[in-house]
Amino acid sequence: MRIEDVVCPFCGCLCDDLVVSVEGTKVLSVENGCTLATEKFTGDHRLAHPIRRTGGAWEKTTYDDAIRETAEILLDAERPLLYGWSGTFVEAQTLGVHMAELLGAVIDNTSTVCHGPSIMAIQEVGHPGCTLGQVKNRADVIVYWGANPIEAHPRHMSRYTTFTDGFFVKSAFRERKVIVVDIRETDSSEIADEFVKVTPGGDYAVLTALRMIVRGKGDLVPATVSGVTREQLFRVAEICLSARFGAIFFGLGLTMSRGKSKNIRNAIELTEELNRHTKFTISPMRGHWNVYGSNEVFTWITGYPYAVDFSRGIAFYNPGETTSVDLLRRKECDACLVVASDPGAHFPRACAEHLASIPTVQIDPHVNATTHLSRIQIPVAVTGIDAEGTAYRMDGVPIRTRKLFSTGYPDDVAVLGRVYSLVKEAKG
Amino acid sequence: MRVILKTRPRKKPHVPIEAEGIIPQNFLRKNDLTVYEGNRERNLEDLFFVTVEGPAVSPDQVEIILTGDTGRIKRVGEYMNAGRIIIEGDIGMHCGNFMSAGEIIIRGNADAWLGREMRGGRILCEGTAGDYCGAGYRGEKRGMRGGTIEVMGNAGDFVAEYLSGGEVIIHGNCGDLPGVEMRGGTLVIGGNCSRPCGNMTGGTCMVIGDPGELLPSFRRNGSTEVEFGGKKFRMAVFRGDVANRGKGTLLVKEEAIISRSGRDERL
Amino acid sequence: MTQGILIKNAYVIDPLSGIRGEIMDIAIRDGRIVEDALPGSEVIDAGGCLTLPGGIDSHSHVCGTKVNFGRYMSPEDMRAGRTSRKGVMHVTSGYSVPTTFGNSYRYSTMGYTTVLEGAMAPLEARHTHEEFTATPHQDMLANTLFDGNWSVMEAVREKDVKRAAAIVAWTLAAVKGFAIKLTNPGGTEAWGWGKDVSHIHDPVPYFEVTPAEIISTMIQANEILRLPHSVHLHCNNLGVPGNFRTTLETMDLAPPAGGDRQTLYLTHVQFHSYGGTTWRDISSKSEEIARSLNSKPQVVIDMGQIMFGRTTTMTADGPMEFKLYMLHHNKWSNHDVELETGSGIIPVYYSRKSLVNCVMWAIGLELALLAKNPWQCLLSTDNPNGAPFVKYPEIIALLMSRRMRENEREEIDPRTEHYVPLFALDRELDWYDIAVMTRAGQAKAMGITRIGKGHLSPGAQADVAIYPLKPDNLDPSVDYQQVMAGFSRTLYTIKRGRVVARDGDVVVEGANSTIWTRSRVPPEYDMGSDPEFTRKFDQYYTVRLRNYPVQDVYLPRGVCIETEAAL
Repeated sequence: MRIEDVVCPFCGCLCDDLVVSVEGTKVLSVENGCTLATEKFTGDHRLAHPIRRTGGAWEKTTYDDAIRETAEILLDAERPLLYGWSGTFVEAQTLGVHMAELLGAVIDNTSTVCHGPSIMAIQEVGHPGCTLGQVKNRADVIVYWGANPIEAHPRHMSRYTTFTDGFFVKSAFRERKVIVVDIRETDSSEIADEFVKVTPGGDYAVLTALRMIVRGKGDLVPATVSGVTREQLFRVAEICLSARFGAIFFGLGLTMSRGKSKNIRNAIELTEELNRHTKFTISPMRGHWNVYGSNEVFTWITGYPYAVDFSRGIAFYNPGETTSVDLLRRKECDACLVVASDPGAHFPRACAEHLASIPTVQIDPHVNATTHLSRIQIPVAVTGIDAEGTAYRMDGVPIRTRKLFSTGYPDDVAVLGRVYSLVKEAKG
Repeated sequence: MRVILKTRPRKKPHVPIEAEGIIPQNFLRKNDLTVYEGNRERNLEDLFFVTVEGPAVSPDQVEIILTGDTGRIKRVGEYMNAGRIIIEGDIGMHCGNFMSAGEIIIRGNADAWLGREMRGGRILCEGTAGDYCGAGYRGEKRGMRGGTIEVMGNAGDFVAEYLSGGEVIIHGNCGDLPGVEMRGGTLVIGGNCSRPCGNMTGGTCMVIGDPGELLPSFRRNGSTEVEFGGKKFRMAVFRGDVANRGKGTLLVKEEAIISRSGRDERL
Repeated sequence: MTQGILIKNAYVIDPLSGIRGEIMDIAIRDGRIVEDALPGSEVIDAGGCLTLPGGIDSHSHVCGTKVNFGRYMSPEDMRAGRTSRKGVMHVTSGYSVPTTFGNSYRYSTMGYTTVLEGAMAPLEARHTHEEFTATPHQDMLANTLFDGNWSVMEAVREKDVKRAAAIVAWTLAAVKGFAIKLTNPGGTEAWGWGKDVSHIHDPVPYFEVTPAEIISTMIQANEILRLPHSVHLHCNNLGVPGNFRTTLETMDLAPPAGGDRQTLYLTHVQFHSYGGTTWRDISSKSEEIARSLNSKPQVVIDMGQIMFGRTTTMTADGPMEFKLYMLHHNKWSNHDVELETGSGIIPVYYSRKSLVNCVMWAIGLELALLAKNPWQCLLSTDNPNGAPFVKYPEIIALLMSRRMRENEREEIDPRTEHYVPLFALDRELDWYDIAVMTRAGQAKAMGITRIGKGHLSPGAQADVAIYPLKPDNLDPSVDYQQVMAGFSRTLYTIKRGRVVARDGDVVVEGANSTIWTRSRVPPEYDMGSDPEFTRKFDQYYTVRLRNYPVQDVYLPRGVCIETEAAL
């Protein structure tokens, strides 16, 4: 069977034009998708049934037992953490938040290791952004800053920017100028009209210098700033100022390098400054598939996009304090539920070690690095393959994924719903 | 009145305690103070041995001494408006949040957000302080607005972020971006730091040690002489952050500028 | 469903049924008002307290992409209104942009049972519907944005009203929207280039149509489709000194309607009634606006009252928010939506010390006091733009009490009276006027009386609010504090026949409905199979046409109002 307009379950681009051929519960081929997408659809390390660690060995267990034990672990904890959520759909994320409020838990999503600093910056100065189609149809200047879309978001350029024609940009390749800013040459910098190579940790100063030039204080800019020459800074500012519509996309190279949230703030303030002269937007390149959905859900229920601490009943938020990596590094948590993400692969070693030392339960279709840190793992259907639900694209556009076939695995809502019922029962 | 709070041993010593109730005005009358250990509400006595000596008729006559394993206790001194708290060891995050008067003395180290959004009074930290010392809360436009924080050792990143009033003195080194977004008040750094005062719009910051890398967005505006720790220093005066239409003042030791002039073409 | 409720000794004002304050009983069964109560019904003794149909807000921003971004960017606002989980009530946070449950509980305890979200971008409709589900104590409706819709503008350029109507019909059905919303028509498309339109006859870049043409075409399309509501318009030039001329010219575009139906609904008109040329000489032009309104029964407005204090402004009007940002230099968010519209958000503080803010405050009240017919001027703050909706009781009190207005006069910038007529107005609205302006008028203007909203006659939806106010023993012009307190917290809020809130607490888990409209069009007007429309869609949107419509699963209790298009 050939299924059209399938939504990709891999990255924050949420490409929705895939054509997937399936036979029974097997994906035969994926058209239009990038290699990452194809791998996601055809990859096969799925856990067959719930497992539980006894002593040093894994044993098979039932959904009933695994779910009951999960609830008990969470109810017992004084500082439980519910982490992950970016690989699942909105309906499951909603249950997670409601469960956290009952448990007095901390609930956090993968922003903690990707665009958390961007969120903090947005909370200081706001966010002039747009949907991706606005860029596709209008932008004549594209800036990728600390991002390498060719590797991390392979279709970003062909669907939304450099290589796609838009309504007002009839010949993208000729009409769009591309600026890439990074600390090293990448596949993406290869195709840039202007490559700005910054010394590591120097982005903040470069952004400051550009802001100065845009607002007419360029006289103060020294001969080089963080390895970038004055001439190039002026050239880049000029390209931006003469744009009809400019779009900046930034990645982890900016959020996770020295200065962190202040880098993003500086980039946003540059964008605001440019808007006094022409049209400019700025957007984070969200990596984890539905991480933006988890930000949205957390926000409409709790008021905060990530790192929400319910230990005092009310919602409290303070990145650096209530963020997973910081909590685990300080060994605060005494239990953890991981849903639809792989902290074992992404967290610093000390955090992973702490996860291994406390009762950690993972709800995830696949065996992954976190499996090795967990006491219990409950396999579920893969959202976008054998489960459906809402996901938010990196620009906030919500799309409903398709279910390609049924496998018999329960989805995240089914499993979390049962844990939640047990928690509700216990809490009265 | 003297209140001595000595921590009891805990089964899970890493679970944080939130104890905003520990402020002088709460000990005037006998009341059932509770604190939180993670998500559990506990009586003060469950977590502390409590000893009270002598009487008090007003909070300024109350001195609280906190001793034992205190490094995980958060929010001590929050909204404090009189009296004194002495912490014999380390203290957890948010010590002295919103405090408006009185005094907190920390013999050990303070964790992050020391004196967050402080309005008045004095905090002395004899050890080191963490990140965001004397800063504000996420999304808020003003950090500390009044009072004094003095740290004898080093402090972390983003010291005095959004400082709007009062004085922050760090005798040791600061991390990255001290005085970032600063808009009023005074920040004094006895030691070294990097990228001071990014985006500042007001207030005065003085770096006695090596300011490390300076941002390009500060305009030289003469020289002046200052005194710190009984010594006089010749300081270069900068105004900025011009990228942010700022009118703040950044003072950097003249020698630091001269020794760097070979590397930095602007100076 | 419960077996029924009998409310006894209620002081009822039900304007749509012509009841202007009578002590009577109300019987409820199966979610509807009925003639007689079933034996064994739960009896509520209203003890002569004011009993009204459930409150309806016809213009509020509570759900969707832009509202949620207002929350996302404002942790400082979130720490203002935090409550823990309590009984069936979820955790809430926030003051000016509360969480969905925060909004829902606060509205419910004020007696509101129906809320229209003022602006939904079609592309992001799914988000709005998800938040509707999490706003469980109000039935929700979504104004759907067409101000910068490329297909509509092309139809306007071709002077093809029928095609414009067909596009609207397809879109509303696809995204489960309720009504046509135009926000700064043409201006949001110009903002795609960082520009704006400054006049209703200013052409939109590239598309070469004017705001006036868009408005007129959409009014006709709306009437062709026989939609329950009229075009819901946020005029051009919001917040610009001297903009009252634009507003007057726009009002002149509204054709007379058959019967007493309006053809144009102008929202938050306070923001559009400014004289002067700059912020220095801004003045009130409420009298000119009211004069025009009083002569045009085909126009309905809402106030867009501002109240002093801090709040968050959010609108699809992207260029306006940028101008505001340049003024305040605080945080600014903007979110353009491809082929459709835009939006912007900035936090503001309305100060009694600011003459401009004082003039704005006066204008909203003046509009309500100068409009002769309360059915034509509805109460709103354009929540949260003028103020969070929790300020409604205070606004009601100001409208009912000249003394309260005089007291406020002492507190504000003393120069205000030179720029506004407010303090020359003696009028004090009565309970009936307030009942019209907070529910009956909304139901009529939105065209939802037909589904039993806004009234209490047999067959109506049993949405009822009982306030701790005894009109017989109360003089609102003196006892305005009591009026304020009374409207802040119902004794009972009943929604669809169930007591949902009592004395300020929500007592049940909610289960709301989403009300949307579908116009049946002949097959040749079905845009879903129009080659030109579908080709352009797949070429210029970044989602596939098939993935665009909002699936039924997002409206667990959808209520569809179907109409027969005159195409």
